[in-house]
Amino acid sequence: MTHIWKTRPWFWVAVLAAIALVLPLVVSNPFAVDIFIRVLLFAFIGVAWNLMGGYAKQLSLGHAAYFGLGAYTSTILLIRFGISPWIGIIAGGVVAMLASLPIGALCFRLRGPYFAIATIATAQVLMLLFLKFRDFAWGAEGTTLPNLGDAPLMMQFDSKAAYYYLALALLALGLAITYRIERSWMGFYLVAVGEDEDAAEAIGVDTTKIKRHIYLISAFLTALGGTFYIQYIYFIDPNTAFSFNISVEAALVSIVGGIGTLWGPVVGTILLEATSALLQSWFGSGHGGVQLTVYSLILVSVILWRPSGLIGVFSDLYRRFTYAGAARAKEVPLDG
Amino acid sequence: MAEALVIRNLSKRFGGLRAVQDLSFAVQDGETVALIGPNGAGKTTSFNLITGYYRPDTGSVFAFGRELVGLRPHEICGHGLARTFQVARPFGKMTVLANVMTGAFLRNKNLDTARSRARTAIEFVGLSAKEHTPARELTTIDQRRLEMARALATEPRLLLLDEVMAGLNHAEVDQAVALIGKLSKRGLTIVIVEHVMRAIMAVARHIVVLDHGQKIAEGGPKDIVANQEVIRAYLGTGYRYEAPAGDAAC
Repeated sequence: MTHIWKTRPWFWVAVLAAIALVLPLVVSNPFAVDIFIRVLLFAFIGVAWNLMGGYAKQLSLGHAAYFGLGAYTSTILLIRFGISPWIGIIAGGVVAMLASLPIGALCFRLRGPYFAIATIATAQVLMLLFLKFRDFAWGAEGTTLPNLGDAPLMMQFDSKAAYYYLALALLALGLAITYRIERSWMGFYLVAVGEDEDAAEAIGVDTTKIKRHIYLISAFLTALGGTFYIQYIYFIDPNTAFSFNISVEAALVSIVGGIGTLWGPVVGTILLEATSALLQSWFGSGHGGVQLTVYSLILVSVILWRPSGLIGVFSDLYRRFTYAGAARAKEVPLDG
Repeated sequence: MAEALVIRNLSKRFGGLRAVQDLSFAVQDGETVALIGPNGAGKTTSFNLITGYYRPDTGSVFAFGRELVGLRPHEICGHGLARTFQVARPFGKMTVLANVMTGAFLRNKNLDTARSRARTAIEFVGLSAKEHTPARELTTIDQRRLEMARALATEPRLLLLDEVMAGLNHAEVDQAVALIGKLSKRGLTIVIVEHVMRAIMAVARHIVVLDHGQKIAEGGPKDIVANQEVIRAYLGTGYRYEAPAGDAAC
């Protein structure tokens, strides 16, 4: 857990939750709410990525594979079989988990950058497969989702606020799972694997098994995000569902915010999404390169000056103001 | 006395290099055995073969009545063999306590139990004052202490220590020797790879000498230092054996 939350952590979480809950009631501008939804969604995907990429330092750049599988599973179930996306979202998660087993078995043979490259390949291969599935999965053209109006049972809503709360619920779920894992033996094992796999094996950590398990959880959560996203934008095609940008974004928000910390992906997403939304409104879509340039500038600055992520900036400030924060901080064993 | 560890005809080649050749020795339960020899003699390779990091070409490793060849390192640790590394490998960003707790989780997944067991191990190696220090900030000797505590937290029956005293000064070697003595008194079986002869003479009752991957001698400290082949290959003619606490280190 990051330092900022250490004195009266639940108080701060409650404040944050309260703000998050009233936000769509105060802000009614659909453009703003759309940004909030994207922030929540990408923070959630970042949290899912962070479990494996952050704590266990298995830097996957292929999480789009699970995002896309979740998206396609629920959409196929919805359109071909009329099954509600509420069931589809879980089914998508299960499909992603099943897919993570062979993908993990292959990719975990590799370490470091080789692992990252292999995971990129898995997402790209899945994208190519879905481009070819014309009859069943609409090929490259993709498809729009049938608009059912306000149909909560089919995960379709008239108001954007409903999507907002759904994304908020997903993020809360991801954070709660991370919190639980961080405070259990599993969190220790993950960090140990991230630090030194051989040393972890020496003290009895089944590194293969723990990586497989965290990959299952991470894939499941990412797939939930995929279903949600497609339900939100009413359209699916392989380039959207398996977009490399999703993989990069999931990793980037965690790295910028603070890798292997509970709130890191949230902080990172708020910064990056806010920046990209502002840039888009300033420059329109005519200057496609601007957004990427600013992204890379942020990334380079963080890596140069704050390699442990921006969350450290907040915790340092916080500790400077509260001595108690520093004293309590020492009670939490997992932190450095 | 029962045999804790039996190594039989263990061999390992790396390309053309015979790192370990036809090595056999046994360690009795509760005994402290030292593995010595010049650099490149195959000591660390033997450790890696015993603890599952390398798979031997031939031979068997039998510990507490179980064949270990073919098992993964974590399984071997589960069977009660814990090791340290020649260059300490702490989990740098974790605190000392978190490092040792990670070891303690092997036998008990409960957070509080693991914490209290970890504290016992930390106290045993004398690191209690630095419980909340991130491991990467520790000095060399403290990192070795930490690694020992982490290994002890897995509740081993046999401890394999790979050059825990390299780079330590005189006083620190004495502390390390005392620590190993304390572990041995608690009934732990210990296999130690070491170059500091003074320490070996103080802790080991049985010594196995390796050279070019082969065992060239085996016996009590007095026999070893008198052995002509050991003198030629490792100790050198200038080495004189004195009383265990003496200062005739190489």
